[in-house]
Amino acid sequence: MSKSAKPVLELRGVSKQYAGGIKAVRDVSLSLDEGKLLALTGTSGCGKTTLLKLINRLEEPSGGSIVYEGADVRQFDAFRLRRQIGWVMQGDGLFPHFTVRQNIAVVPRLLEWDIATTELRVREMMQLVQLDVEAFGERYPHELSGGQRQRVGFARALAGKPDLVLMDEAFSALDPLTRDDLQRDFKRLQSELGFSAVLVTHDMAEALILADEIAVMRDGQFVQSGTPSQLLAEPADDYVAGLLDTPRRQMRAIAELGG
Amino acid sequence: MNENLAERLNELPDLLSGHVLLSLSAILVGLAISLPLGVFAAPRKRFAAAVLNIAGVIQTIPGLALLALMVPLLGGTIGYAPAFMALMLYSILPILRNTVVGLQGVEPGVVEAARGLGLTQKQRLWQIELPLALPFIVAGVRTSIVWVVGAATLATPVGAPSLGNYIFAGLQTRNWLSVVFGCLFAAGLAVVLDQLIRLLEVAARDRRKMLAVQVGALLSALVVASVLPRFVEFTPPAQPQISQQFASVRAEEGALDDEIVRLGAKAFTEQYILAELMEQVLVDAGAEVERLDNLGSIIAFDALRNNEIDAYIDYTGTIWATVMARDEPINRHAMFVEMAAYLREEHGILTLGRMGFENAYGFAMRADQAEALGIRSLADLAVHAGALEVGGDAEVFTRSEWINTRDAYGLGAISTRAMDATFMYDAVRDGQVDVISAYTTDGRIAAYDLVVLADPRGILPPYDAVILLSPEAAERPGLADALAGLVGSISDDDMREANRLADLERQTPQQAASWLYEQVTE
Repeated sequence: MSKSAKPVLELRGVSKQYAGGIKAVRDVSLSLDEGKLLALTGTSGCGKTTLLKLINRLEEPSGGSIVYEGADVRQFDAFRLRRQIGWVMQGDGLFPHFTVRQNIAVVPRLLEWDIATTELRVREMMQLVQLDVEAFGERYPHELSGGQRQRVGFARALAGKPDLVLMDEAFSALDPLTRDDLQRDFKRLQSELGFSAVLVTHDMAEALILADEIAVMRDGQFVQSGTPSQLLAEPADDYVAGLLDTPRRQMRAIAELGG
Repeated sequence: MNENLAERLNELPDLLSGHVLLSLSAILVGLAISLPLGVFAAPRKRFAAAVLNIAGVIQTIPGLALLALMVPLLGGTIGYAPAFMALMLYSILPILRNTVVGLQGVEPGVVEAARGLGLTQKQRLWQIELPLALPFIVAGVRTSIVWVVGAATLATPVGAPSLGNYIFAGLQTRNWLSVVFGCLFAAGLAVVLDQLIRLLEVAARDRRKMLAVQVGALLSALVVASVLPRFVEFTPPAQPQISQQFASVRAEEGALDDEIVRLGAKAFTEQYILAELMEQVLVDAGAEVERLDNLGSIIAFDALRNNEIDAYIDYTGTIWATVMARDEPINRHAMFVEMAAYLREEHGILTLGRMGFENAYGFAMRADQAEALGIRSLADLAVHAGALEVGGDAEVFTRSEWINTRDAYGLGAISTRAMDATFMYDAVRDGQVDVISAYTTDGRIAAYDLVVLADPRGILPPYDAVILLSPEAAERPGLADALAGLVGSISDDDMREANRLADLERQTPQQAASWLYEQVTE
């Protein structure tokens, strides 16, 4: 991590134990610099989604501290914190009874922006995610394709001008072509707007392509974290190596088919 | 226009108004309870299951029973209050269940998105969960409306005027036009309200303010139109006046000037006629009469005891068995004296006197069949018991009269079939049953050529018709005097003939009562 950048987010020895005694997250520490994208990856049930939800207090940690912009998240009002941090969830989570416009305007409305500013922001966001304002503004989610819905999901997450965006399997439900498109658009958005992001994904290829840094989790703990090239060069153990190997194996298999 | 139809139409404003007010107030209050309760219960699975179970149990209580149960639960109050309570309870389940189901059915992903974006719990409820559950909730309200408007027809026996008056009175006097009238208007009302709510839902969903305003206006107009008859005095249609020549029964003219007298009647022809007769006597004495017809048997008594009605006619044997809980045989005159003393002492009720006739339970069969089988008395039935079926109203087979008769005459093998009293005379005439538990004053006994079987062992208790005054009415000097003229004035034959006029000659209870009035004043 470069020394000039200051961390947007820091986790120090964070744990989460559920009421039933299950430890979903054990003693995790990390630091995310401004403008960077961290991918949390690992097999299902490794605790990556729980870790993500601890950041905007959808879950409360049982130990350790989470520092956002220099202050412990527990010092924030949970609702205000969530409005400040962008949130993109698996399967879009759009409000079915809201139009595209209304969905995107949710956070600006919660932040009590005036109507003109909100309207302007909605248009701006729709252009950013490449949805025609006139054609799509008044549509309802069920009238959109999966890719369009996820674009609205991104627009909604970014409308409140967050400097940190949390994404839970944001690309997973999409077909490969759409996913590819959206991933590229997202990369562009991030460099244009300069926000930091934490992306939870079980797809190692996605993590390698998008992330500045990858943290591999197993049983609630970090097995290894580092830049994609560090991981590729020196996988810490067989688990990490196995995860990294999957996309390569697929590539080889495809190459062989091509003869 | 047909006179029957004209008369039914004449009753419509009051009955429809009563029905609308009763149903709408029950649903509004039910909604005010079940909606917040559903919102509270939806996230609490165990609590939700518990309240839904309770509401479900209430729902399984038959409407008529629930309505009737409210009377003793409310300390014997009759009229609007018990009907409202029962219907309100009835309206809760559909709304509660649909609110819970609708809220629990909101996709978890949508709820999580709302949390993740920073909506507070209240904002989630109002902006996301309730709007998404709205179609379910509205469907619940619509179900509720249809149930409640239908069940409100059962408010008649507890003394709340509703479209059920048409049905209950029509069933008793075999006035099918009246029954159909009541059914059509009740069904029509349910459909109209149901559709108005549906339109409200459409308006809410599509955000059509104009439509919402129009439907709102229609609903308010309906409510206003229903409330109006409560406040505007209708001039009653001119009553046929009894000419001045009858003097003996007549009360002193003007004795009750401008006093209000509330008369009760149970739900059968004879009671309507007798209430009408009392009304004519009282009106002649200058009183203003309010009527509460179609009361359940015990409900009428409770209403009298609580001074909610001033007077009604009951029967010694009924009071003996249901109020005094006695079942030992006793002779007619002793029963009357004991009953009168008991009512006065225990409840302050004044037994003004016996009207003269007895309307007892008697077992009747077709004269030709009785002849063929050689049956003259209840004792002769035993031989044929295995091959015979007895029809009777729902009450009779649970009462000691039947049980004692059955045991005394060895009729254990006879089979029984319960049916509405209106139908049993036709049933025995047509051979659908062999014996019926007839009322001895019913005009159809003679008209259908039935014979009442003798009771040689004196098992069947006496049923003298008696005029009862409430504790408060008993203290009103003019009232007892005005009605006293009716004591001892009506013979078995006169009563049977009046019943026959109403039941078979299609005369109205008023006409039959006028005929009776003429007889007793001669």
